[in-house]
Amino acid sequence: MKFSLNFVKEFIDLKITPEKLCELITSAGIEVEQYEKIENDWVFDVEVTSNRYDWLSHIGIAREIAAVSGIPVKVKYPKIITTPALKHKKIIIKNESDCPLYIGRRIAGVKVEKSPAWLRERVEHCGVSSVNNIVDITNYCMLKWGNPLHAFDYDKIEGDIYVRRAKKGEPFLGLDGKERELVPENLVIADHKKVIALAGVIGAKNTEVDEHTKNILLEAAIFSPVVTRRSRRLTVETDSSYRFERRVCPEYVEIASSHANELIHSFANGTFSGYAYAGKKPKERKKKIPLYFGHLEHYIGSAIPQKEIKTILTHLGFSLGASSKTKLDVNVPPFRLDVDQAVDLYEEIARVYGYDKIPSSLPSIKNRMPVGLYDFKKSLRDFLISMGLQETVTFSITSQELMERLQQGEGINLINPLRVQENMMRTTLLTGALDVIKHNLNQQTHNLEFFEIADIYKKQKDGFKETPSLAIAMSGGPEKACRLKGMIELLIKWLNIDMTGFEPDARAHFTNALKVSVEKKEIGFFGKLDKKTRDGFDIKEDIFFCEIDMAKLAGIKKDKKMKTFGRYPAVTRDISLAVHTDTLFKDIEEIITAHAGGYLQKIEVVDTYRGENIEKGYYGLTVRISYQSQEKTLTSDEVDALHGKIRQAITDRPGVQLR
Amino acid sequence: MEEKIKQIKEQALNEIDRAETGQVIEELRVRYLGRKSEISQLFSQIPKMDSADKGKYGKELNILKQTIATALDEKTGTFGAKEEKIDLTLPAASFQKGTKHVLSHTTEAICRIFEDLGFIVYEGTEIENEWHNFSALNIPLEHPSRDAFDTFYLDVPEKREGKYLLRSHTSPSQIHVMKKLKPPLAVISPGRVYRPDKVDASHSFMFHQVEGFCVDTDINFAHLKGVLLHFARRYYSPDVKLRFRPHFFPFTEPSAEVDVSCMICHQKGCSVCSQKGWIEILGCGMIHPNVLGACHIDPKKYQGFAFGMGVDRIAMQKYGINDIRLFYENDKRFLDQFDEV
Ligand SMILES: [Zn+2]
Repeated sequence: MKFSLNFVKEFIDLKITPEKLCELITSAGIEVEQYEKIENDWVFDVEVTSNRYDWLSHIGIAREIAAVSGIPVKVKYPKIITTPALKHKKIIIKNESDCPLYIGRRIAGVKVEKSPAWLRERVEHCGVSSVNNIVDITNYCMLKWGNPLHAFDYDKIEGDIYVRRAKKGEPFLGLDGKERELVPENLVIADHKKVIALAGVIGAKNTEVDEHTKNILLEAAIFSPVVTRRSRRLTVETDSSYRFERRVCPEYVEIASSHANELIHSFANGTFSGYAYAGKKPKERKKKIPLYFGHLEHYIGSAIPQKEIKTILTHLGFSLGASSKTKLDVNVPPFRLDVDQAVDLYEEIARVYGYDKIPSSLPSIKNRMPVGLYDFKKSLRDFLISMGLQETVTFSITSQELMERLQQGEGINLINPLRVQENMMRTTLLTGALDVIKHNLNQQTHNLEFFEIADIYKKQKDGFKETPSLAIAMSGGPEKACRLKGMIELLIKWLNIDMTGFEPDARAHFTNALKVSVEKKEIGFFGKLDKKTRDGFDIKEDIFFCEIDMAKLAGIKKDKKMKTFGRYPAVTRDISLAVHTDTLFKDIEEIITAHAGGYLQKIEVVDTYRGENIEKGYYGLTVRISYQSQEKTLTSDEVDALHGKIRQAITDRPGVQLR
Repeated sequence: MEEKIKQIKEQALNEIDRAETGQVIEELRVRYLGRKSEISQLFSQIPKMDSADKGKYGKELNILKQTIATALDEKTGTFGAKEEKIDLTLPAASFQKGTKHVLSHTTEAICRIFEDLGFIVYEGTEIENEWHNFSALNIPLEHPSRDAFDTFYLDVPEKREGKYLLRSHTSPSQIHVMKKLKPPLAVISPGRVYRPDKVDASHSFMFHQVEGFCVDTDINFAHLKGVLLHFARRYYSPDVKLRFRPHFFPFTEPSAEVDVSCMICHQKGCSVCSQKGWIEILGCGMIHPNVLGACHIDPKKYQGFAFGMGVDRIAMQKYGINDIRLFYENDKRFLDQFDEV
């Protein structure tokens, strides 16, 4: 909101520079966006926090300046006259939770004309355009007290005044010249025939005050912040809606109305001629908060002198009750609905005293918090990076269309998505991997190896499940399959687990996918995305993808223990085979393991061969077997005997021949 | 036989002496010592000799073989250094270093500073309900942040604690921890958060925050200042200044926004700090008694502070990243630049 320094000076005798003022109010919590000189005035554009509706008025700003500068404010309140009562018109509020109070004043015989210079300057400097003396006076009072007012041309109102919800499709032509169709979310002011204002937001053209207006109805009210906000979102934001959304001071409704009445009398020749209201007038609110100096010090960590505390509170408009060495009773003024308990007072005192005057100190930290999954995630991240993978961060929200296409479990829909491209929570990290690979391939970057650690979300019978997951994705040629598998094995080994199991996994959209299990527990899968699916995404390279449940992964981790290693030399023997393409390597590996008599150190594939010189449907495979004993040096004869048994066992298997 | 041995010896040593490459040496090795070499053939004649010659020539042939082998090895030894030339002007091999995403790196760097002070990391869930995301944090029912304009709601059947939603901040972590555990507590909680903001250079519907809080019998506002000053000195620079500006958050009282002095212009004013000399980095305050109460922690006995910061924004300021979308696009040319671990 914008405030004018000259306007503020109506209430406080201020003699500081605008620079100093800017610094003072910023440190008290009114953030100055910018300030500029307009004629002989200074205008400050400030950010007001949502709790401080009182700062949306010049009186509120003046009180704040009083507190930080130590100069008291002088506020003159108008006399409140409520007689005679308004004849021939009633005010009817349909629902008091929409509008707790509505006051109408009839002012007769007004002379509508251009505002005097001082008035025009007040409103214009605050960014409100000057219209005529009546409208400008209502705006002046809003800027001064914080309570928006509205003036109707009394003679254009047909019958009684209703505060009610709009009917669906009810037409409304606003003072901004825009035609709107209203909905029941809109609260309106209406007469017998038509809508005459969008409550708290903007008046209607049909009751506009213009040069022909003789009599006016001056509205002062309280509208529900929630209703005003919803109504405004469907229409337009105005100075009025801005204030009603943040609440207005109930005690000031009558004051702002009476003050406008006085000004209309002085500057537009109007005569007050009738008063009516509906709803509940605010009861005098007596809020007393006991302030214990000791607790304040314990809370803030600094001893603020009692005298200073009292001065701060007084300048802010609080009145002080009984006081002792340890305690002070503080009475909360009506314009501070936000102050409710002792900590609210602590904030008032601390911020005006100055946050910068409070010392900084480090506490001695004690903790009952146990360590969670984060440390594991962090070291896993470092481990994956050490293998050369690049971490990505992709969106958890994807489209239902994509989820349906990928068929990876049932996802959770967003009720209020921004776009259809982001209307469902992903059930797999594959969505992000595909996005990233596709983007980079389009940028002519190849040989991609990514990972992501993030949650996935699945719909379940009784709700949902959110699972922290790890995905590794690679693009490139078939060699990446073994590379990915090698990384998974290395990852499991890093967790100090000896054996990884890979079992066939019939998974939609993947070719020959394998389940990854550790000690019979499935923890994830990996595989190659099938060509049809990848074509569907217009990706030209093979995609290899692995997804693992993070919590399960962390769960299988074992403590590291040094293992002895054989110091006796290993003896290697090669074996060349012709293998039928339907035979899995795993089958050959199992035969070797079963017949190696515990002397198997490792099996390596040293060569594969496809082409001529080999029977159709077969491929050449050379396997190198390393034999090692933990107790002795194996002799050639011992190894030859073992190796011979293995050759025999392999030859016995259909689909494998010796070459 | 005698003559033959002498001839082979001379010829071999001569040729070895003249050899200039390792390849020639290996050819000579095959020629003189291989299975089909002259020496091999001479060896094969030995069984036909009488026993005196057998001993003599067997020995001489072995000596010949040994002499040639030694000469070959010696010659090979003299190559190595001078022979195998390498051209170091060839282009370097390219390495793919693994990289941590800059948002992870920033998150870890922030958390680490608090961990060193004794804070423990807790990661909450991203799917939350209204009670944890709002009510327990003293955010009233009519608060605008609860609107569908500001929070994503999810199609999950509503339960006792209200509608399900994507957390709009990491503050619900406070609630989860304090509901389960009693003070003393010092927790730092990073994670993804979501708000229905239209995507542009400075907005994303998904972004990252780090929340921290500390509760004990005697934690006060001065401690909040001290902990955050320690953080800023470690994360930015030892001579950084902090400014605490009063602010409003429903879940803290008193509340503040914290600015760091602009390290780019040293507070002379620049585009990064919008000529203000200060850059806003976080919001904080003393935990509102209503929040402690909601978690069944007695606000008369315990008090504490909480703070929250935006990781994306901090990373953008630190590395001069001008578009938040770069984080989520994951272009390899972007990822490659952040190789700190
Ligand atoms: Zn700067």
